[in-house]
Amino acid sequence: MSDKKKVPIVEGLFTWPSDKPQLIGSKCSVCGSVQFPKSNACDNPDCDHSKPPDEILLSTEGTLYSYTIHQYDLREPFSYYKAPYAIGAIELPEGVNVVARLATTEEERLKIGMRMRFKVDKLYEDKEAIYLTYFFEPEG
Amino acid sequence: MIETAIANIEITDWIEAGRPIPSAMDRLTGVAVKTLRETGLRPKDLDAIIINTTALPFDEGSYITISAQHLAHRLADKIGTHGARCMNVCAACASAGIALATADAMIKAGLLKTVLIGGVDNSPRGFYFQGPSTLDADLAVSYPHKAVGITNPSYWAMWARRRAHEMGKSIEDIKELMALVKETQSQYGARNPHARYKKVFTAKEVLDSPIVCDPLHLYMISAVSSGAGAALITDMETARKITDKPVKIAASAVGSPVYGEPSPRLICFATAGAKKAKKPFIEWRKPIEMAYKQAGITAEDIDILEGHDTSCFHTINWIDQVKGWEREETDKLIREGQIKHNGKFPVNLSGGTSAFGESVMNQALIMIYELFRQLRGEAGERQASKELKIGACTVYGAYGSYGAIILEKGW
Repeated sequence: MSDKKKVPIVEGLFTWPSDKPQLIGSKCSVCGSVQFPKSNACDNPDCDHSKPPDEILLSTEGTLYSYTIHQYDLREPFSYYKAPYAIGAIELPEGVNVVARLATTEEERLKIGMRMRFKVDKLYEDKEAIYLTYFFEPEG
Repeated sequence: MIETAIANIEITDWIEAGRPIPSAMDRLTGVAVKTLRETGLRPKDLDAIIINTTALPFDEGSYITISAQHLAHRLADKIGTHGARCMNVCAACASAGIALATADAMIKAGLLKTVLIGGVDNSPRGFYFQGPSTLDADLAVSYPHKAVGITNPSYWAMWARRRAHEMGKSIEDIKELMALVKETQSQYGARNPHARYKKVFTAKEVLDSPIVCDPLHLYMISAVSSGAGAALITDMETARKITDKPVKIAASAVGSPVYGEPSPRLICFATAGAKKAKKPFIEWRKPIEMAYKQAGITAEDIDILEGHDTSCFHTINWIDQVKGWEREETDKLIREGQIKHNGKFPVNLSGGTSAFGESVMNQALIMIYELFRQLRGEAGERQASKELKIGACTVYGAYGSYGAIILEKGW
């Protein structure tokens, strides 16, 4: 096992360190609308915006809205993205459709409408640390 | 209400992106002066100059906001004015459409009469990335590239796949349709002197090109380019004095992120709204509906369409949204060749962004230019065979930027 520090690639998107990490969103206490990432304002145009939203943790299960497998590497500063890698949009029960890395590039395992489960895993590592991001993977 | 018109419009040739020469400002100035001179007006006659900002230098956060965001003022300084109101507008790839809508609204309100709109852009090469801005560390839009590796074509690919899914079609079916769009549009790019790409593609060549992100192949995605354009927008009375063929602006609508949009929005992490619309792309459709209402027309009245196409999926989706019909009808239209110059509903006879490459914020000008020439019967080898009266231009960009413009013969 590596004893390198595990660091979220972007702070504030998911809870870390945690045994059961979750996406961090926010929910309006006035109208119930949910935002991701967390916001200091409600996003519902019909809300009276009388209170700022409260931080909440989002569901770890959702359904696959759509996906694609990226077949090109990215250039600097994102050259740690090496093809192929999969991207999807996940509909969460809270009413947000979140773009995410998918844990598999095997197309036969992916089907629009299928149940997906959240996890945090390694994105890449360098000499100093292991960088983490959030993924969704097919359930079961 | 005061009627408005495009009195003249000119664009430069679109060239390879990422080269500093000839300078962006010189190209903007050149095309602005040309547009004015052809009408006999001088800079002193301008009430306002509205220029879209640019992507320069898109992915270098250290100096993203300075000179490139003040092209209107720099143009005024360069060509001279007696105090024309200078405004810079920004709405990603939809920017030039929004510049037109801003000019149109101000003239219709009676605030002013002659407005020069325009822009120049020089795209970054390769995938567009959000700049690493330490002062604008907005979680909502600044980090999808960093945390998810999502690129613009990945969003488009997901939309295309979703459309196929909702229609009960295979992924091969939407691929074939997109390849056909490329084949069709490339025939018009080849006939457009301003287009950068003159190669005529076959659908097979498109399908044989490498996959970027399934179902999008390389030749289904627009390249990045550099180009400039300018248009003179005036009240109809002024337009009639300086041209025999003013093109009436029947409507110009500006769109935005819409709460309840079900599909992922370009550049963003998420779309929200517990009660989402059943069908995606309500954001694309909304300004079109507004424009129809302003112009007092319906989809059946549109003779010709120019729709911003950073991928071949966009062309398909614009037809879906402009027509507002069952998506099967769009597929049929494309497969039967009815979007060609001699078809029932010509689409992107400019060759589109597909043939020009994208000069990001400036891109709507190639489409407005095309409609202007088509309605006046000046599109040469690209001229639509049918008689044209009304054309639509639909623009689209990141962050939820949209617009719809309806142009009509004004003589």
